[in-house]
Amino acid sequence: MKKKTKKLRSGTYLGFAFTLPALVYMVIFIGIPIIQNILLSFKNVNVYTFADASQQKFIGFQNYAELFGAPDSILTKSIGNTLIFTVASIFFQFIIGFALALLFNKKFPGCNFFRGAIMVSWLLPVTVAGLLFKFIFARSGGIANQMLMALHFISQPLEWLLHPDSAMVAIVIANIWIGIPFNMMLILTGLTTVPEDIYESANLDGASWFQKLFYITIPMIKPAIISVLTLGFVYTFKVFDLVWVMTKGGPVNSTELVSTYAYRLSFEQFLFSKGAAAANVLFAILLCVGIFYLKTINSDEEM
Amino acid sequence: MKRERRQKIIFFVVGLVIFIIFLFPLYWMLVTALKTQVEIFEVPTPLWPRNLTLEAFQKQLSASSDTLRGFKNSLIISVGAMLIATVLSIPAAYGLARFRFKMKKAFILTFLITQMLPSTLVLTSLYIAFSGMQLLNNYFAPILADATIGLPFSVIILRSYFVSIPKELDEAAEIDGCGPLNSFFRIMLPIARPGVVVAAVFSFVYAWGDLIYGLTFMTDPTMRPITSSIYNYVQQYQTLWNSTMAFGIIAIFPVILIFIFMQKYIVSGLTNGAIKA
Repeated sequence: MKKKTKKLRSGTYLGFAFTLPALVYMVIFIGIPIIQNILLSFKNVNVYTFADASQQKFIGFQNYAELFGAPDSILTKSIGNTLIFTVASIFFQFIIGFALALLFNKKFPGCNFFRGAIMVSWLLPVTVAGLLFKFIFARSGGIANQMLMALHFISQPLEWLLHPDSAMVAIVIANIWIGIPFNMMLILTGLTTVPEDIYESANLDGASWFQKLFYITIPMIKPAIISVLTLGFVYTFKVFDLVWVMTKGGPVNSTELVSTYAYRLSFEQFLFSKGAAAANVLFAILLCVGIFYLKTINSDEEM
Repeated sequence: MKRERRQKIIFFVVGLVIFIIFLFPLYWMLVTALKTQVEIFEVPTPLWPRNLTLEAFQKQLSASSDTLRGFKNSLIISVGAMLIATVLSIPAAYGLARFRFKMKKAFILTFLITQMLPSTLVLTSLYIAFSGMQLLNNYFAPILADATIGLPFSVIILRSYFVSIPKELDEAAEIDGCGPLNSFFRIMLPIARPGVVVAAVFSFVYAWGDLIYGLTFMTDPTMRPITSSIYNYVQQYQTLWNSTMAFGIIAIFPVILIFIFMQKYIVSGLTNGAIKA
């Protein structure tokens, strides 16, 4: 009897039983839909065949071939756009977030309050943040144009969201604003793990601020940096709401991301199978980055 | 000594400037909601409303508007998703933190991976499934889908809470004759309460912020959550910025409340969920 309880406690069944409900839930609402999505991408389901299963058949890679093979393929363009959007966002989010983390790692009056208040942009519903920036970049009434005109950078108000290049700039700026707190907090957490006395001995050796930054701080918090960059990449690469609200992928697909394109195919053109194929392309890219991330955090933590 | 004080003042000023720049968009949202349409389109537009008016808020809060209905729908959906995610994640996190069993590592990886998946990936399949089950325009559709965002996140942060509770506590409980279930409910759960709060708060905030599920599963305007009703409002009234911003402020209100009163939980959730994994 005693032996049996002991086995349960460290053994296989109980831990498994505790975990099972959550796992089953994820299998039903994420696992199975992913498999169905893959199957769907090899079929011909659209608005005509949606209701009639007998009309649905497997057509192999035709959806993928059509999406990639079309002249001026929007999918190819949207992958490029997503890369530009992601890299530009992360570059600035990371640098600004890093700088803010260095600042707020110091003790000064108001430090906790300022740091806390900056977090708010990360928590807001992205839809609202998107509308707010849509207004900020509006041609008439938008504050961005007024500021730039007051500073004499531009002489005429710009249609930020109606020109391809400036629309991309606008959505990147909005996304930077949303993502800075995430970068700041993760790097700040990394900074608190660096022992103070390393800096003290570096000071004795007469190290400059830059030397301390590049030879002590950055190498010491490398795990945090890798986390924030890869997670940032994953989170940014799948952004949907912000772009859907601000530009809907326009003008002329210049801000179309893979996520918005997949949505448009499925729910505006009702080409469900094509939408599924586009979503799978997004999935494949994220999976690669995700596995890279898991490998790196796995190597320095036992489970 | 003097140099240190001067440095602190410089840091304070820099911090203040960053704070002002960073929160300016939110200030601008509030000020715009309090302006008249005429003032919004003035050049240069005033930084503080000359004719301060609550008209936009009154309009949004009147009984006939979509705002309050959207608010109510969002509340139902977010609380539902929060309950599912929290109730399922607590035992899962406990199991993954305290027991050794086959496949454990694979389970943890599964939760980590699902956290990174885009909603678009499951959206079409879920839409087809829900439409087959007559669940479109039913609260259950977005509730069930939104819970999948909060659930893996909650498992991961709660697990790190359970891991941090010393093993001696379980052993002491065992010596006192507590079974595993008993020690889970009587000892572990109360200690992990801050973690449970973090998990619940995040599940709520994630569900509250969702646009894509609400937009897709709720085609009936009366059933829409507030994010998709504000989205539809803007499509309809392109340049009514004061009303739109008032709508936005109402939509972010619960999040701001959570932010003010539970900030310390949020900070710990953000860092634990992402790094410790």
